[in-house]
Amino acid sequence: MKLFKFREALAMSLRSIASNKARAFLTALGVMIGVAAVIALVALGNGAQVSVEASLQSLGSNLLIVYSGQPRGSSLVRRSTTSIVPALTEKDLEFIRSLPENLVVLATPESSATGQIKYENRNTSATVVGTGIEYPSIRNFHPIYGDFFSDLDLKTRKTVAVIGAQVYKDLFEEGSDPLGQKIRINGIGFRILGVMEEKGSSTQDTQIFIPVSAFQRYVTGSSNYAMVNIQAADLDLMRDLQRIIEDELLKLHRIPNMDAADFYIANQLDLLSTVQGVTGTFTLLLGSIAAISLIVGGIGIMNIMLVSVTERTREIGVRMALGAKPKDILSQFLTEAIILSVGGGLIGILLGVLVSWGASRFGGMASVVSIDSIVLAFGFAVVTGLFFGGYPAFRASRLDPIEALRYE
Amino acid sequence: MIEIESLSRHYQMGPTTVKAIDGVSLFVDKGEFVSIIGPSGSGKSTLMNIIGCLDSPTAGEYRLSGEPVAHLSKDQLAEIRNRHIGFVFQTFNLLPRISAVENVELPLIYAGIPPRERRERAMEILKRVKLDGREHHVPNELSGGQRQRVATARALAVRPEVLLADEPTGALDSKTGAEIVALFRELQAEGVTLIMVTHDPEVAGQGKRIVQILDGKILMDVPVEEWRP
Repeated sequence: MKLFKFREALAMSLRSIASNKARAFLTALGVMIGVAAVIALVALGNGAQVSVEASLQSLGSNLLIVYSGQPRGSSLVRRSTTSIVPALTEKDLEFIRSLPENLVVLATPESSATGQIKYENRNTSATVVGTGIEYPSIRNFHPIYGDFFSDLDLKTRKTVAVIGAQVYKDLFEEGSDPLGQKIRINGIGFRILGVMEEKGSSTQDTQIFIPVSAFQRYVTGSSNYAMVNIQAADLDLMRDLQRIIEDELLKLHRIPNMDAADFYIANQLDLLSTVQGVTGTFTLLLGSIAAISLIVGGIGIMNIMLVSVTERTREIGVRMALGAKPKDILSQFLTEAIILSVGGGLIGILLGVLVSWGASRFGGMASVVSIDSIVLAFGFAVVTGLFFGGYPAFRASRLDPIEALRYE
Repeated sequence: MIEIESLSRHYQMGPTTVKAIDGVSLFVDKGEFVSIIGPSGSGKSTLMNIIGCLDSPTAGEYRLSGEPVAHLSKDQLAEIRNRHIGFVFQTFNLLPRISAVENVELPLIYAGIPPRERRERAMEILKRVKLDGREHHVPNELSGGQRQRVATARALAVRPEVLLADEPTGALDSKTGAEIVALFRELQAEGVTLIMVTHDPEVAGQGKRIVQILDGKILMDVPVEEWRP
């Protein structure tokens, strides 16, 4: 009986919708746009998050960096280390390298200084980075042409260099082969071994990499390092690893606690969670803006349903005279509102997915459609129909049949 | 069939009480054809609404087929309208967007009759009022007389004991009006109880009993033979 009644209400509502298609479409349009907006904007928010995470990962995976000096915010983004007194010793590095393989995969020192680079009659300024052979793997930054320097170059303090993409552009004619050419760094001659891939970031592309041993001798004269880059074995063990290194380095440096330390450690996990927090807020913001449009869509449904009830007052009167109970009228109009909102919701899902796809396909924006947002938006659309359709339907069901029949 | 005893329907309009029906008693047997006449505002429509269970009296008794119905709930009244009463209105009150047969099916929907049986019964009744061939026309495609016959068919669909007609000829020309009343007489001959409100003496005279109402009271209640308009 219940199912039968529902089928009747469904059939009646469908007929009523079919008899006024343009209005039904306009009514559902609000919900359609609302649902589409929620799905598309959340997809774009998620896409932003994914692409930021991806570019973070491109800095090197499971990266942990020990910096000299006091922290200025947790950041893995390369900062100028030239103004910092290098505080990390060979002993520190040895300790880190001695950690078991299930903690530390690779570790390499890094010191840098701004240098004047000369090739023939051309001049440019670059960041001279002294580091070890592990650097390309740890930082996921490799030579695209030629090679990085070797262990032998490192041990023998060879004056060889691998130049950044921008440095190559500044010093060489396009297409000319830089390999084997001699450049002068602060007046000392270095032979070019390779050119690094282009990262698109001016700080990374204006670097010149030389063996850290040569850096210590020819650039700074200090035997300490400004930083140590570490590739951790496991993202989940990163915080534990950080604590182990902190404890040991404090001991080696004879410093009581991290507040007074002359070094600090930044790890990718912390940065990742910061970024995730930021982009999560961003997604939430976009989602709530879209949700507001969904509510506006719901008000649109209520509006039209109220008009519809008024317009069909006489029909309601006739139905009541013929034996329709208040709940029959209620279910008829409520079903109509729900069909409109569910229909609008379904089209909205399609529209939202299409817009997200179009944004990534033609707009170059990253978008990730999440099932959560689809379920949420659709559920919201149904609730909207129930809530905003409920009041007009209730009013219809409370009409007095005599008044309704007399209505012109 | 219909037993009304000292029934009143009063409306409170601000400080004044309007006595639309004031102590009316009326008994109608099964198979009668009663014409209710009276000027507008006399209370005949209110009486019809109460007989049709659209309205409830403020005082008095009303029994339909022996059942007291004066103080039932909205749902119970809806059920009685659906099962026991058929309405024919002056302006037909067909739903404009659906076909004749679908209009006739409406009361059957609320009676919970399944679709197939509904359609069969509706077709059958349309045939009875000589509208076969017009079943799938929407009201706009039908003449006034045809529309009133669809409305009559709809009123008959659930096989009610009582057919209530409120000015059924009011929107029709005299010829088609006469046809509708002739249909009513046929239905009466088949055993349907008919109560018709009209202000047209010609139409009223087609009934078998004349009840005249004035100011909410019954002024006259006579067989048609004794009636002098």
